[in-house]
Amino acid sequence: MAKDIAPQTLDAVRQPIETAHGLPNAHYIDADVFEVEKQAVLCANWAGLAVTADVPEPGDAKPMEFLGMPLLLIRDRQGQVRVFQNICRHRGMILVSEPRKIEGALRCPYHSWCYSTEGKLVSTPHVGGPGQNTHEAIDKSLLGLIEVRSHIWFETVFINIDGNAAPFEEVHADLIARWSAFDQPMYHGGADSTFMLPVRTNWKLAVENYCESYHLPWVHPGLNSYSRLEDHYNIDEKGKYSGQGTRVYRQLKGDDGAVFPDFAGLDTKWTEGGEYVTVYPNVLLGVQRDHSFVIILEPVSHAQTREHIHLLYATPQTDDALRTKNAAQWREVFEEDIFVVEGMQKGRYAPDFDGGRFSPAMDGPTHCFHDWVAGKIAAHLDVP
Amino acid sequence: MTALQDRLLAAHAHDDRTALVTLYTEAADDAANIDAACFFLTHAYIYALEKGDPAAKGLYRRLKGFGRV
Repeated sequence: MAKDIAPQTLDAVRQPIETAHGLPNAHYIDADVFEVEKQAVLCANWAGLAVTADVPEPGDAKPMEFLGMPLLLIRDRQGQVRVFQNICRHRGMILVSEPRKIEGALRCPYHSWCYSTEGKLVSTPHVGGPGQNTHEAIDKSLLGLIEVRSHIWFETVFINIDGNAAPFEEVHADLIARWSAFDQPMYHGGADSTFMLPVRTNWKLAVENYCESYHLPWVHPGLNSYSRLEDHYNIDEKGKYSGQGTRVYRQLKGDDGAVFPDFAGLDTKWTEGGEYVTVYPNVLLGVQRDHSFVIILEPVSHAQTREHIHLLYATPQTDDALRTKNAAQWREVFEEDIFVVEGMQKGRYAPDFDGGRFSPAMDGPTHCFHDWVAGKIAAHLDVP
Repeated sequence: MTALQDRLLAAHAHDDRTALVTLYTEAADDAANIDAACFFLTHAYIYALEKGDPAAKGLYRRLKGFGRV
């Protein structure tokens, strides 16, 4: 049993919401528990890593770190986005240290072993001695780059580090069906439609805050004028996903009354509807008639998270001023949440906090997430 | 060879990989024996491969001809 994870605390989380407690402090402030969560929650499931716009063209390569692991996001010559462990199979040297275009092959800067953008080992110079580029002990077909299982949805690159999760389409079948209307091309708004917020909090608190609408009138009073608490509803599909929806989504308008083009073929539910769901574990998605957004939570440590925000549109080109205004509006909303998630993190150092109690009426989505996390950890630790 | 060495060093200093393909090929052409030629051909080939330089095909064929790939 991992330090500080007692089965009874997980049991307490998995009780009905009326009697359940939240995950205890250790799940937010203990580096050892974070190590367990890395394996049980983040590596064993489909975690968000990046967006496809990070590598827009064939040959684009971007080194990334996820949970301390060196990864390489690359768009191969055929246009497929792939994720590899960013190391040469020879001496484990980091292959790519800065974002760049791979014109031909990926050449290791150490002994110049070369790989195709599809990860195939194509050349091993001098491996059999000077000017001898083969050796019977080195089978190139077995020494390609180590590929990380990946899947693209909502232009987001999800990865399953341990390789053992069920297929993404299976794990998230219900959510994919719920949002099937949005299964259509989406276009990243570009440099002015992405920003990163570093927050001093455990990544789960960002999920928990995102999932519920309970806090909206208190933390985002600007929304009260048109989006009142009663206009929102809970989304909590036990064991699957959770979040919230609104029935009064209002399109952003430019000074001239211009709006963003809508996604094609949406039914009337989406005329004034918007939904905001966490794709467990760490991707926060929002959908509305005229744009969507993706927030990838990068767990840097047990107490630090980077929120990578990206705005996606229905058309490749959108009005520059309107897009800038939209990004500024969302930035303001997401920044308003920072003091909350950082405050809850600080609160987790209070020794007698017991994980807290949930409002059965308002906290269903948060409890749904806690229940899912506790279940994954229990399964990982083989707790009956 | 000294002049060629100077040009090679300059190309390395400027990280000019197109020049490196040309210069290592030249070094291979001037080499005293097959082993030395294959050493230089290997370098020319690797830099061509990295650049996506069409010269890579021909360099590969030359190495293949010597049984070196």
